[in-house]
Amino acid sequence: MSMYSQPPTTYGQVTFPAPSYQSALAAYSYQQPPLPAPPIYHVDPNSFRRDFAARLAELTINSRPIIQTLSMFAQEYSRWADVVAQCIDSHIRRVPPWTKLPAFYLLDAISKNVFDPYARHFAPFVIPLFLDTYQQVDQATRSKMEEMLLTWRTGAPSGKELFGVITQLAIERGVWGGSDSASSADVSKVQVLSELEFTLSQKERALQSNPWDSTTQKHVEVLQQLRKLVEAGVSQDELRQILSQLRSLTRAPQAPPQTLPVPPPSSSYPTSSSTYPYSQQPTYARQFQSTFSTGPPPQPSGAFNYQSEPRKVEPVNLSALLSSAQANSQTSTAPAMPPSSITNLYNALLKAGVVTADGTPVGAGSNNDEERTPPPSSSLSRDNTRAYRKAILSEKIKLTTTDIVRKRPFVMSFLYDRLPVQCKQCGVRFSDDASGKKAMEDHLDMHFRQNRKVNQNQGRGHSRSWFVSLEDWLREGGSDVKGKRRADGSRPSSWKSVAAAEAAQRDAELRSQFVVVPPGDEAKSISCPICKETMQSEFLEDDEEWVWRNAVKRDDRIYHATCHLEAITSAQNLAARLRDGTGCSRSRTPEVGGIRSTPPKGNGQRTSLSPSPGAKRAMLKRKIVSDDQGSDRYPTEEADGTPPMKKLALSS
Amino acid sequence: MSDNKEWHLHPETEYRFELDPGTSLVIKLQRGHAEIFGAELAEGKSYLFGSECKAAVFTWHGCTIQMSRSLSYVSDETPMSTYANVHFVFEQMRVRALRDLHGSPPSDDDPPRVLILGPENSGKTSISKILTNYTVRAAQNWSPLLVNLDPAQGAWTIPGTISAAVVRSPIGTASPANPLGSAATSAPTALASNALIPLTYWYGNPDTKSNPQLLDRLVRNLGVHVIERHDMDPQARVSGLIIDTPSSFASGPSSGSSADSRHTLIKACVDAFHINVILVVGHEKLNAEMQRLYGTQLTVVKIPKSGGVVELDHAYRERVHSYQLHAYMYGQKIDPPPGVSSGLVGGEAATELILSPSSTIINLGDLTIYRVGPESIAPSSALPIGAARTLSEMQPTLLDPASSGTRLVNRVLALLAPFNEDENERYDEEILDLPAVGFLVVTSLDIPNKKMTVLAPTQGPIVGGTAITGSFEWTE
Repeated sequence: MSMYSQPPTTYGQVTFPAPSYQSALAAYSYQQPPLPAPPIYHVDPNSFRRDFAARLAELTINSRPIIQTLSMFAQEYSRWADVVAQCIDSHIRRVPPWTKLPAFYLLDAISKNVFDPYARHFAPFVIPLFLDTYQQVDQATRSKMEEMLLTWRTGAPSGKELFGVITQLAIERGVWGGSDSASSADVSKVQVLSELEFTLSQKERALQSNPWDSTTQKHVEVLQQLRKLVEAGVSQDELRQILSQLRSLTRAPQAPPQTLPVPPPSSSYPTSSSTYPYSQQPTYARQFQSTFSTGPPPQPSGAFNYQSEPRKVEPVNLSALLSSAQANSQTSTAPAMPPSSITNLYNALLKAGVVTADGTPVGAGSNNDEERTPPPSSSLSRDNTRAYRKAILSEKIKLTTTDIVRKRPFVMSFLYDRLPVQCKQCGVRFSDDASGKKAMEDHLDMHFRQNRKVNQNQGRGHSRSWFVSLEDWLREGGSDVKGKRRADGSRPSSWKSVAAAEAAQRDAELRSQFVVVPPGDEAKSISCPICKETMQSEFLEDDEEWVWRNAVKRDDRIYHATCHLEAITSAQNLAARLRDGTGCSRSRTPEVGGIRSTPPKGNGQRTSLSPSPGAKRAMLKRKIVSDDQGSDRYPTEEADGTPPMKKLALSS
Repeated sequence: MSDNKEWHLHPETEYRFELDPGTSLVIKLQRGHAEIFGAELAEGKSYLFGSECKAAVFTWHGCTIQMSRSLSYVSDETPMSTYANVHFVFEQMRVRALRDLHGSPPSDDDPPRVLILGPENSGKTSISKILTNYTVRAAQNWSPLLVNLDPAQGAWTIPGTISAAVVRSPIGTASPANPLGSAATSAPTALASNALIPLTYWYGNPDTKSNPQLLDRLVRNLGVHVIERHDMDPQARVSGLIIDTPSSFASGPSSGSSADSRHTLIKACVDAFHINVILVVGHEKLNAEMQRLYGTQLTVVKIPKSGGVVELDHAYRERVHSYQLHAYMYGQKIDPPPGVSSGLVGGEAATELILSPSSTIINLGDLTIYRVGPESIAPSSALPIGAARTLSEMQPTLLDPASSGTRLVNRVLALLAPFNEDENERYDEEILDLPAVGFLVVTSLDIPNKKMTVLAPTQGPIVGGTAITGSFEWTE
């Protein structure tokens, strides 16, 4: 696990040319429809390709900052995803074997964090690329690649295979030999060992960040014994059992609850997706955190453990092995003595509390990691504060007109030399001790989140917020200020987070809507009429049906639920504004652009579209306003079911 | 960038530039370290400036900068080391105050609560910004409160206000429209200083002398809440506060009444914010005056003014007011010079600073509009001897939008926070003590139909609201 024990490369060492055309397009895209990307490019793809390739060439070591910068860059220019994909593909193929891995980590980071559109741009070539590379690299790199491959099983935001199940299976088959990983046929020892290593490394890292977690400690012991056992050689049957145990062990809490019992080996394709229960990443948002906290392959248990992680939550089903375990029950002291059989080992696992007999997650409920700060770091920061105070107070200086005009070089050392770690994006500095590094990472994370938000919001338009009430202002940043790094723009204010939470909830609700794919249409590819993107179909395990996620059906057409709501909202705004006749902000509103390409069709069922309380309230407000002003001014769209755009188009 | 110029700056020199109306500039740090008003530049990033920005790139260590065109000059005489020393003293006060907070030997170490006074064009705002930026750059999690008491400059909102906001990241410089960062928008920002959460009071006039009584009252209101906030959050309190003031506090004819009103206002500040340090920028007489009045109870220090400060004329200030109102509603838009694709504006990608306000037609009766004091207040000294004012300066007058004398079109209104929900808590002049939640501009009046169109920063509760007019008018 050398990669993880390495300290993150220092940020100061790495330099790279700045994007001279940063946000080139962004400055204008505001007036354009959100999707597809506006046709006017201020930078041509060729110069982008040149620039990206040049930056990629610098990726010769496993450097988190470079990978992060590149992936932010890719995020910013996702409209040239094809260029990025080509560059990465040819880069990996071109460079010598020992520099291939970092580039793979970049591919991994981009596809997990940006996901759309990158994952589908990478998918076509990732199989041969991975397998060819795998053939060329040394054993150490191979195991790293295997680890990464394991994370791809659940790497997509939905918790599914990052590049699709077929791609995943193809690569796994290429790496671990002929067998479908879910089938009973030949589970190779290599595969089991590699998954074992992977789980073990997760546990070890969890232990590192939380040395008092005795549960995890026991897990590690048992897993180490298990590894010895497998290395020594076990039967095919046992291998398979171990494998399925390992997988249930690493399954994350949000995985579809309980697919008891262990799936039948010979499942057909659609059902096999449900037998694929690896999900190391509990949420999409966290992946990003962990990606950059542990080095490229996103692992839930980062070396810098500041996000909640599924470390202690292991919903495990034991029915299969319990039945076999009941045969010998004499092994109560198993963890202490070398396990003589797999069965004993399972009992040991049971004893150690890795798993519980009824399948209840161990430690579930008490898992509130978000508030847990690793004790060492807080005492560290107190030490830092003390050291800083000492340094500051050791200099003599008086607040008098004569004393303050004297030149004192040491003053500036506190703002420059003592803070050698600098953010390349905004110039903010940090110290190079542990707490400074942590702060820097949080800061970079903030940039990344912000960039992602910017991309998600592109073309949506923003506005100045109302000022907060006196009460909120007085409490802004109040009690939650402790120990939190906020020089970086993460705002603690409750109103903001409430608004964000509401928006997130609304978004989640929209995205959770689905339309069942008509039988026989599973293979048909349809796209949202608004954003023109292909609708992703997925298999709903509970209902055993294929569905389109984030979808609504209106007038026999399938739309993305999010696009549809947005189009309707825009239409309302636009209609209102046009009727106002002021026109003062017309040309600047994004809605104008947005609407041009998005004629919302019949919206008679609008209420069903806005399930969140926030949205409802907004609508209520709008209604009140329009009632106040007389309905002649705002003919309500619901009344006659005619989309406002149609009317406008007719009248213009 | 066809016309790129490279400049090598020696340590402790600064490159000063002033932009003409309608022009913009891009500066890129090639090598070394550089800062603008205390905010460090990131190497290799393009920083955009516009809207007649006047600023200086200063370097402690020497640097090479590249810019889209060359204008202006390099100076090696700056008071920066003095400002840095002042910062350092404040930093010592902060760490002592923090130590007190943590309980070790109890003493009365106070964090710096600084009032900056100085005549017109002495660089008070720049000094406030530099001291604030150095504070947040210390990587000690400081979150100083920055207070703007100059109603002629909008800080992070619009002119006509006084306000306070906690600053957590360095404040960038891009244009005079947001001299001290920007109030929060719905856009995600990289720097907290571009999403400030201010407490704002509406004074409604750029001139402190137009209604000193009202200003006094607002200053005290602001002070009460700043202190209250610090009491609730001792951790933030140790970061201290820095107050930028209008030049009228410092200068003015020594005629009896005017001197009185400014001394009254300075006293109001010192009392309301528990000031313990007064910095007097480049003004001997004022320094002496302050020493005499406050020298016994707090520290008064004179600091030099920078040779780089620019004389600003009335027309320029008027244009800046317009830039600020525009930036409040529509965000900051700076067109990069030809050949430059984009850059950072005050630390943010330029796109994120573009906003779309909301224009709404409402009934005349939907908004209750007041004016505070008589329509045009002559200074007391201009009244005939012995004449008393017919209308109190503090009297809120309800306006009739339909009356031709009201002249509401193009008028900037402050929308106030709602009245106290508890009827029993209400009082006559409560309207004077309500903070503003935002600003509106009446863009048209349709008296026959009893409608008016108002431009608001975003959608929200305008109907049923209470607003106060002021002397500001704005057209796009």
